[in-house]
Amino acid sequence: MSIRHHIGDDTLMAYVNGTLVEPLSVVVATHLAICPRCRKSAALMEDLAGLLLMEAETAPLSPAEEAMADIIPSSASPDAGNDDQPLIKPDYSNTGVPMPLAERMPATLDDIPWRTLIPGISHYPLPKSGSQKNKGTLRLLKIAPGKTMPEHSHTGQELTLILRGSYIDDLGRFQTGDIADLDSETLHQPVADTAEDCICLIATDAPLKFSGFFSRLLQPVFGI
Amino acid sequence: MTSPGGIRQDKTGARALPDDLDRDLTAVGLDQDATAFRRLFANLAPRLKFFLIKGGMIESAAEDVMQETMMKVWRKAEMYDSSKASASTWIYSIARNVKIDRLRKEHRPEPDPEDPCFVAEDPETGEQAVSRKQDRERIQKAMALLPPEQMTIIKMSFFEERSHGEIAEMLEIPLGTVKSRIRLAFGKIRAELEDL
Repeated sequence: MSIRHHIGDDTLMAYVNGTLVEPLSVVVATHLAICPRCRKSAALMEDLAGLLLMEAETAPLSPAEEAMADIIPSSASPDAGNDDQPLIKPDYSNTGVPMPLAERMPATLDDIPWRTLIPGISHYPLPKSGSQKNKGTLRLLKIAPGKTMPEHSHTGQELTLILRGSYIDDLGRFQTGDIADLDSETLHQPVADTAEDCICLIATDAPLKFSGFFSRLLQPVFGI
Repeated sequence: MTSPGGIRQDKTGARALPDDLDRDLTAVGLDQDATAFRRLFANLAPRLKFFLIKGGMIESAAEDVMQETMMKVWRKAEMYDSSKASASTWIYSIARNVKIDRLRKEHRPEPDPEDPCFVAEDPETGEQAVSRKQDRERIQKAMALLPPEQMTIIKMSFFEERSHGEIAEMLEIPLGTVKSRIRLAFGKIRAELEDL
């Protein structure tokens, strides 16, 4: 797999500092699993954050906080951090998609219970977690060969990761592993350009805006 | 702060050398070295708290996150590898995850190197050849070359943890400008790092 479209540094930085909403973070993390180049960029940003932390000013600690320096070593035993993860990791390897996405998949890509939006285009909304459930959307989208997504732009940000097949739009050709990082200024109309279905993972932090009259009628249908 | 190790909290905010921090964190991981932990704590806990308060947290929440972070630092230090990250970077990433867990009740999605779908770096490219120490110095140098308007935005993003939209509002510039300055800044840092 040779990836040609990567995560924008602005988006990656928001992922690194933890301000990116969860659905967008899932797409970023899924791309990171298959893209050493973006992982390297993310590591650089963490290095930078570490430098800023080291050079930060200090806030005064209360006596109780200062005491933690002694209390922690005498009361807590090292455990290599197993408290965060289940002891037995579930096996998601059979879903055929990288980890951060795999744990949200109901089935393999071949067995997704697709819901048709319009002929040739179907989707499957993925569950979100955490307290920000209203923030953004996460879904799988399937575009049949030769079919075109109605032209749309975004009120916020849209991140698309190609999981299978490819599409072409005004910005270029996007193939498996590529990521399209679009903001509200971009208007696009992707068309699946091979004999294979194009399956994407799409996250938004705000609803899409469809531009044509008939497309606008779809807004309630897509609800995205 | 007084401790059996005789470490006093440094009111002047003097900095430990980054290599010392890396060594102390490694010692905590290998030997459960409580003295090394106290040094780490004395140096980084007040900075972490400052970082969190600057990030918009109220003091009591910042205290909670700082304490939980330092607890995790002690308990997970065994997993720290000084060839992969500096101590301050490692501690920053723990603090960030603690904060996301607490504030949003969610786990941050992260790639898992043991995932069969994970694509490892091609060792042929030799991109990992430089040491952490050299990297750190070069990143610092590259950062110093950034124009102030780019550095301001980077600092606001990391330090104050503002979304790009919030930064745009505060600086009264378009969102697109915020994004392009971030892209320019990292383009420049990356170019400096590759330019051996």
